[in-house]
Amino acid sequence: MGVFVFLPLVLPLCTLPIARLAEQHLHPRVTTRLLTLLAAVLGLCSTLCLGLLVVVGTAQLPGNPLPDSWSDPEVRSAVPHAEIAGTAAILALAAALTAVGSTLRRDRRIRARTHGALDVLPAGADPAVLPDDDPYAYAVPGTPARPGRPARPGRIAVSRGMLRSLDGDERRALFAHERAHLHCRHHRYLLAVRLAGCVNPLLLPLRSAVAFSTERWADEEAARAVGDRRLTARAVGKAALIARPAPYPGLAQFAAPEPGPVPRRVAALLGPVPSARSWPPALTPAGLAALVAAAGTAASALSSLNAAVALFLVLKAATPL
Amino acid sequence: MGGTPFGKALGQSPGRDRIRRGQGQLEAQVLAALHRAPGPVAAAWVQDRLGDGLAYTTVMTILSRLHTKGAVTRERAGRAYVWTPAADEAGLAALRMRRVLDGEPDRDAVLTSFVSALSAHDEQLLRSLLDRVEDGADGEDAEDAAPGPGAGPDHPSDEARGG
Repeated sequence: MGVFVFLPLVLPLCTLPIARLAEQHLHPRVTTRLLTLLAAVLGLCSTLCLGLLVVVGTAQLPGNPLPDSWSDPEVRSAVPHAEIAGTAAILALAAALTAVGSTLRRDRRIRARTHGALDVLPAGADPAVLPDDDPYAYAVPGTPARPGRPARPGRIAVSRGMLRSLDGDERRALFAHERAHLHCRHHRYLLAVRLAGCVNPLLLPLRSAVAFSTERWADEEAARAVGDRRLTARAVGKAALIARPAPYPGLAQFAAPEPGPVPRRVAALLGPVPSARSWPPALTPAGLAALVAAAGTAASALSSLNAAVALFLVLKAATPL
Repeated sequence: MGGTPFGKALGQSPGRDRIRRGQGQLEAQVLAALHRAPGPVAAAWVQDRLGDGLAYTTVMTILSRLHTKGAVTRERAGRAYVWTPAADEAGLAALRMRRVLDGEPDRDAVLTSFVSALSAHDEQLLRSLLDRVEDGADGEDAEDAAPGPGAGPDHPSDEARGG
């Protein structure tokens, strides 16, 4: 399998330009799906290859439960620098699995705690308006049924402080935005991308890219629901201005002059409706990005498959029957 | 979640299970009962009103929890306390939500917030964009008199894109 086993570990690098181009040229719905699919496939391939390296690495350890012949020179020669790579892979896989576990636990805990907080309100109270002067608005994803507890549908939690600063039409835009989050199940995309970032840190930039594109997606849905892009832009802008300021205002001065997510969302809403084509024409930057994405994903999938088959054959040959 | 030392000290085994299962609902019921009360009432009054076979200690535990959260107030009347609601169900939900938001710095990964924080630069940019929205709205009012298809959105978009 040679060097192919390492390829899926670094191929996620090709997602950086893709995330950027997709954001500028594709409909946010397409961007979200494309980037999430990319993250999921690349994350799975990278984990598979890590797993293969772990098998080779574990076979070298004294007292391991694997067949002795799996540490033969033929097996070791299948992976360049088998000792170092194997040991590193064991550590990396352990770290990745720990991160995945804690991410899933945290996800479940925050959802349960938020629903617990809102449970005192009658189930029909949606959006749940909370008497709090702090301006906030959250879409709380539903929780599946568990033994002894029925499934809880997603809810919207809005503080009175947030509603006070918006007029009636702007509130409609806000609710439409949050409902779009729940209805389009943005939470699942976000979780998938976060898990991908856990198994391969090179996929971490996709987190913020997908977080942004789901917001844009919800903005577009809201604009469609209220039938006014400018109104939606105003609601987003006003809400951001009254919400709490950035936690480190001092640092913001030194940050790149690149506009943050909220101004970009407002600017995009003031612009034309993004084209809803699911695949961009090939000879545009977006089309090129989509092609690179497809090629990178295919390369990653093929190399991990190649590595898996190669290792399987090597191990089969080394196993005495 | 609400395992406060106060609640633990008072909680007793018959009521514990029940509290763990439906803490939110029980708190809401107790608060609702207090709201229907003619004035400050004793825990026994709440227990009577709720019926449902709730133990006295359970009612006390819930009242104490609500008190820790600031959802009820109490004062001494003779040897016992009398209780008054400080917040309704929505107020209680807000208090509990507050605790989740303050206690989970990483919550934005799970709960999708309407807007994220702004840097100083973003704020300036946003204000100028919003000014354009207002200007554009004025312009649109004029156009509304003689509506032209597609004419409205084009004008501000070019400027906005430059930002």
